Amino acid sequence: MKPSVEQLENLLALRRDDRPEEGYWQDFLCEFHHRQRERAVVKSKLANFFGRVAVWFSDLGPSKWAYGGGVAYATVAALALLMPRGVDVENIPASPVNYQVVPAPALEPLDQLDLSPSTHGSAGEQVF
Amino acid sequence: MFRQSRPPDPDQDLVTRARDGDTRAFDALILKYGDKLYGLVYHMTSHKEDTHDLLQEIFARAYQSLKSFRGNSNFYTWIYQIAVNLTLNFLKKRKRRTGLSLNDPGSPVQHDPALVDTTHEANPEQQTNLKELQLKLNEAIMKLSEPHRMVVTMFDIQGMSHGEIAKVLQTSEGTVRSRLHYAHLHLQCALQDSWNERF
Repeated sequence: MKPSVEQLENLLALRRDDRPEEGYWQDFLCEFHHRQRERAVVKSKLANFFGRVAVWFSDLGPSKWAYGGGVAYATVAALALLMPRGVDVENIPASPVNYQVVPAPALEPLDQLDLSPSTHGSAGEQVF
Repeated sequence: MFRQSRPPDPDQDLVTRARDGDTRAFDALILKYGDKLYGLVYHMTSHKEDTHDLLQEIFARAYQSLKSFRGNSNFYTWIYQIAVNLTLNFLKKRKRRTGLSLNDPGSPVQHDPALVDTTHEANPEQQTNLKELQLKLNEAIMKLSEPHRMVVTMFDIQGMSHGEIAKVLQTSEGTVRSRLHYAHLHLQCALQDSWNERF
């Protein structure tokens, strides 16, 4: 016997009260803040690093263009070296397929069939 | 032509304060919606550790994206959308990673005793029957596709309306009703053998 939709809904509604155990949210909040702080530290370290790079770069004076050009050249060269190339396919000499065609058994020639009038009905149809 | 005005978001004040850097305001939002989101994620993943990690990710994403929250919908709808998207992505990844589908009837998570409701007060025999039935129900729910499981979780377990679910899933109410109808049919058939008149 099937439960009705209403009975099914009542059964499912029993789970409405499923909740995490006592004290879960306090621990959750502690971990959340801890993770946020870690994230902020990483973010600020990165920002600091890029800031220092920017300051160092601007302090270089006119030679920064040479450095910039060098870095760009190195990047392009690295990309060109690392770029996957098409695989060379060797020219394999073509060999004939070793397969012999076996002729099908010859069909009985039509003129060997018994088409004598004795096998024909009055209207010319075949009689069995 | 008039546009129907939306009632003000009850969380507007907390959201504004959290956006301005008040971490206590965001804590209050976590405590307000934590249980509901926990229920949603837990019934979708059936795994406590995964639920915990996902909830951390959901609230972290919401916290970081708070500045981009324009208030086109309620905070409640917005955070539910984040939760649904992250949960569905997580389930896809988990399926790929483990090669184990939750729809696999042999999956042990379906027999997780934590999933079985124990709050129902009844006589011992009835409680045993109810537990068995809940286990069967777990198995049947896990056999539903993710979109169908999501709708059943939101409607039947969390008590959300069709309209609210449609807003969260960004689909029509008709689609929600249709998915729910199909899911109910599936669950009814799955419980056919173990259903007892006493319930």
